[in-house]
Amino acid sequence: MLLTSVIIIIREVLEAAFLISILLSLCVQLNLTRHWFKWSLAGGVAGSIALGSQFGWVSNLFGGIGQELVDAGLQVFIYLCLLYICFKFIDHYFKPSASNATFRAILTAVIACAMTREGSEIYIYLLAFQDLPEGGISLYSGSIIGFGIGLSCCALFYYWILSFSVSRSLLLGCVLLTTMASGMMLQAAKMLIQADLLPDGQLWDSNGLLAEESLAGQLLYALVGYEATPAPAQLMIYMASGLTMAGVMIARYQYWRHRQLPKEANQYGN
Amino acid sequence: MSSLRRFLIVSILSVLMLVNFIAALHGYKSSMAEAEKLFDQKLTAMALQLSSVPLRSQNNSPAPDNEHMVFQLFNADGKLAWRSVHAPDQYIAANEGFSENNFNGYRWRTLSYFNFVNGHRIMIAERMDLRYRLAERVILESIVPVVVVLPVAALLIWLIVGHGLKSLELLAGILRKKAADDLSVVSIDNTPIELTPVIASMNSLLRRLDDSFERERRFSADAAHELRTPISAIKMHLHNLRDEYPEHNSSLNSLERDVDRLAHLVEQMLLLHRTTPDHYPAKFESLSLAALASEIIATNYADFSKKEQSIELHGDEGRVSGDRFALRIMLQNLLNNAYKYTQRGGFIKVVIDTGPDSVRLTVSDNGPGISAEVKSRVFERFYRVGGDRHASGSSGCGLGLSIVEHIAELHRASISMSEGEGGIGLAFTVVFPLSFVFGELT
Repeated sequence: MLLTSVIIIIREVLEAAFLISILLSLCVQLNLTRHWFKWSLAGGVAGSIALGSQFGWVSNLFGGIGQELVDAGLQVFIYLCLLYICFKFIDHYFKPSASNATFRAILTAVIACAMTREGSEIYIYLLAFQDLPEGGISLYSGSIIGFGIGLSCCALFYYWILSFSVSRSLLLGCVLLTTMASGMMLQAAKMLIQADLLPDGQLWDSNGLLAEESLAGQLLYALVGYEATPAPAQLMIYMASGLTMAGVMIARYQYWRHRQLPKEANQYGN
Repeated sequence: MSSLRRFLIVSILSVLMLVNFIAALHGYKSSMAEAEKLFDQKLTAMALQLSSVPLRSQNNSPAPDNEHMVFQLFNADGKLAWRSVHAPDQYIAANEGFSENNFNGYRWRTLSYFNFVNGHRIMIAERMDLRYRLAERVILESIVPVVVVLPVAALLIWLIVGHGLKSLELLAGILRKKAADDLSVVSIDNTPIELTPVIASMNSLLRRLDDSFERERRFSADAAHELRTPISAIKMHLHNLRDEYPEHNSSLNSLERDVDRLAHLVEQMLLLHRTTPDHYPAKFESLSLAALASEIIATNYADFSKKEQSIELHGDEGRVSGDRFALRIMLQNLLNNAYKYTQRGGFIKVVIDTGPDSVRLTVSDNGPGISAEVKSRVFERFYRVGGDRHASGSSGCGLGLSIVEHIAELHRASISMSEGEGGIGLAFTVVFPLSFVFGELT
């Protein structure tokens, strides 16, 4: 029970916590306000309890695939928000300015949604097992250990990103946000496969190489969307979403580079 | 801005938590594996014991009634000779040795053992969930303290980090409380080795800064003072030259103007030095701004009259706590400015107004005023609007308003500049706060 609790909680905590640490560290590096964070935390906790407590009702929606659709919808929304956020981070890097209300609202929404998705699953898990005879101490000890490991990883990760220069932090942050966002699209695809809206299948099984349930597997799952037994549809969506996001960011980066080059040229009198 | 204390506490606590929890998990897994072995050993011992007991006596024994552990005993012919109450009456299909099976609605750890001496086979099984729960209960006893002790560790880390950063916070507090003119060296008791070079460098910088300020102060004061004597001598010689060479009167007039200008500059430099708030020996007394203004206007009335300028004094008594000498210079400079830059036949007005928390002194004129672009520069030293080519044609050195600013600062007063009455000309307003006027006087 303890081990199961640890694995489940780490799996849920790591993804949202990594997202928070990357976004917060980039905001610090780019001198952007972080006042939005408390609102996103409050929204995430409220959303987790709301979605978790209405799990039965949500699951029965759309002929019994409500939970899968809501989950997939949240993942797609987070992906789109992260696309916009990376775009704006590049803008703020080249043209430092205060973040506008839309940007702050999207930062708040993305963390609140990520927390809602993961938090509701934790809420359901704790609620379901707390009354079982094998629950109790092992359930809560496992949960605390899972939370502790997840939060510790992310706090250290946050300071690790802050230890780089602004340009390197931005590069690292954008790459990780791209892989995380693509990982979320991969999970959205998994949900749609579970709802029989996408074809199932198995391309390979890398559990022997790196078990999904191991700590390293959980870290990779949170950071790059590691899946030991992906379906073809999942892989395609993962690749497409990753390439789209990377393409948009490279285009934005090039746009700013070209805008800066003539200025640099003028400075040297050309 | 990142906090050093937060970084240290969060990082140390994170590392501690990560290492402890991973160690606890590792310990949990190892202990569970050991517990499994112990439970298996217990099953083996029981299987050996059961298989070696003669069947005749077993038939007479009552069947054990334990729902957590069941057994079946088969004789040499392969017939079920004895079983526990909750054991199935059919052969438990299990491989030789240990295996895991499902029956009676539970998952069981089963040992199939064949006794080669008497040909008996014993099938003994223990419920997985119960043995797992039992093992976990024992192991959790050692893990729970690791989890529970963490808040205590966090509190201790908080206190230790706080203690470690105490010297840094002390230094920050000393620097925060330091007055702008306080360039004395900083010292902290029991300075840590890491902070010693920082304090040493800072003290060295403060000393150099103090020396350089002192040199600057001495230089301007000494230079101005030393220049006074030769200027007086030049003036005297100039007077003699006028008598000796009356035909060169025009050149001598120009020379006299320049010498006067130089004398004025020297006087202003001395005043600027003397009125610097950092080292002005102010003698505050209760005085009336209106009386002071009236006195200065009366003294300079001939000059205003010469330029056909009208001058008015309005308002109340304007009682403030101030240094008479300094306030006189301030009023003199403001009126002198208005006089110089206001055209012939112009209008100058002095208004003193006592409010609930301040006394306002306004000197306005209907002169040409100044453009918005240069407004921010008028208080700079040696800055003159339009320089020597100003339309007024008056001479000056550009120190008058810097002196006024010093004197305002000395009295905790604020000075501002705006357009004169009706948007024409220029107005300088000095606001003396009453908290200073009466608070510090008493």
